[in-house]
Amino acid sequence: MVDISLTVNDRLYEISIDENMRLIDVLRDELGLIGTKEGCGEGECGACTVIMDGEIVNSCLVMGFQANGSNIVTIEGLKKDGKLHPVQRAYIEAGAVQCGFCIPGMVLATKALLDKNPNPSDEEIREGISGNLCRCTGYNKMLVATKKAMVYMKGE
Amino acid sequence: MDIKKVYMGRSVEEVVRLLGEYENKAKVIAGGTDIVIALRNKVIEPELLIDISKVEELKGIKEDEEYITIGSITTFTEIVESEIFQSNLYGLHKACKMVGSPQIRNKGTIGGNIANGSPAADSVPPLMALDSIVTLLSIEGTREISLEDYYYDSIKENELLVNVKFKKPKDNQVLTFAKLGLRKALAISRLTLSSFIEFDDNIITSIRVASGALAKFPMREKEVEDYLLGKSLNEETIEGAIEALRNSMDERLKGRPTLPYKRIAISTILREILEEALVFEKGVKAW
Repeated sequence: MVDISLTVNDRLYEISIDENMRLIDVLRDELGLIGTKEGCGEGECGACTVIMDGEIVNSCLVMGFQANGSNIVTIEGLKKDGKLHPVQRAYIEAGAVQCGFCIPGMVLATKALLDKNPNPSDEEIREGISGNLCRCTGYNKMLVATKKAMVYMKGE
Repeated sequence: MDIKKVYMGRSVEEVVRLLGEYENKAKVIAGGTDIVIALRNKVIEPELLIDISKVEELKGIKEDEEYITIGSITTFTEIVESEIFQSNLYGLHKACKMVGSPQIRNKGTIGGNIANGSPAADSVPPLMALDSIVTLLSIEGTREISLEDYYYDSIKENELLVNVKFKKPKDNQVLTFAKLGLRKALAISRLTLSSFIEFDDNIITSIRVASGALAKFPMREKEVEDYLLGKSLNEETIEGAIEALRNSMDERLKGRPTLPYKRIAISTILREILEEALVFEKGVKAW
C-alpha cells in the first residue's frame, strides 16, 4: 500500500491505495465517484476522462500513485450549489446525450476546452473532443451543445 | 499487474541509482500512455515502478547557441504549445499535434515515444530527420547515441532517457512531416515521413528523410536522400523520389500484405513533405 494525498472536486483526500491501482480505480473504488466510466481501458475511447491539474487525461492510463499532490475534477465536481454547470445544461438542452456512457468524459473535455479557449471555432471544438468516442450519435449535437455552453459561460 | 513497490522520483540522481539497484526488476513511468497498457497486459512485470513525471530536471525545452534540447518528460502538448517549433521546425509541431488525442498528448512524452520503440512513433521520424542525439544516463555514466543508431543499441534496463537534442536549423533549412492514419484522431500511424532539407539557390545541398511504420522501427530513407541530393524540387524530381522510395520498400517489405497499399500511399505522403519544403523555400505554393 502507498499513501497519497490528492484533491478531488475541491476536497482533500489522504488515502492509502494499492500500488497497482490506476487513477480510475482510485476514483471509482476508493472514493466512490462512479461518474467516471471505464470504456476501453487503453486510452482509445476517452470515457474515463478527468481533468488533472487543469488538463484532460485518460484516468485509465494514470497510475493512482502518480496522482499524489494533484488536483482532479470529475463529473461529480461540476454541479455547484445545486446548479448544473453550463456545459451540462447545454448538453441536455441540445439533446446531445443518448445512452450517456461517454458523456462524463465528453462534458469534461468540453469544459476543459472552454476554460482554455472561450471562443473555439467549429474545428477547434471537434479537435477538443476528438479524444472522446460516442457510438450513439454523430458528434454534431455535441458541437451544438458546446456553442450553447459558450454563450452561457459568457453570461455568468 | 503485480507491482510490489512504487516510488515517486524527485531527482535524476536517485532515479538512476534505483534503476541500478533493481536492474530488470524496475521500470520508469512518465505519461503512462503506453506503459500502463503493457503493465495491464503483463507484457512487462516490474516489481518497482518509478514515477519520473515530476522530476524537474527532465522537464522542458532548452535552447542554447548550438542546440535545442528537449527534456524526456516534455509532453506532446508542451511541444505543440512551444513557440520554438514553428516556421522551419514546424514539422515537429505537426507530428506531435497528430499524436493520439488531446488526452494522450497531455500525458504522453517525447522520451516515452522514443523509449517505447514503436515503429509508428510519430515524433521519431522528424527527430531522426533532425539527426537528433539521445542522452542516456545510468550509474555507469552518460551515453550519447544518435537516434538513428538508437534502434540498434537501445536503452538498457539500468538507463534513464534524459533528453533528446539536435542542432538548431539555419534559415535555409526546413523540417517537414506528414502522416497517414485511418482517421484524424486516435489512429495509429499507417505511414509517416519527415524530411529535413537545406536549400542553396533552389538546389538541395543537404537532405535527411526518415520514415515511420515502413520498417520494424523508424529509419532513414537513404535512397531517397541520395536521389534528391544536388537536385532542385520539381514535378519530375518528386516523381523520381517516389520511385526511389518504392524501390527500397519493395526490397524491405517483400511479401508483406500491406506493401501494395503502402506503395500507393507513400506517393501522397512523400509529395506532401517535399511540397511543404518547397513552399517554405519559395515562400509560395509552386503548383
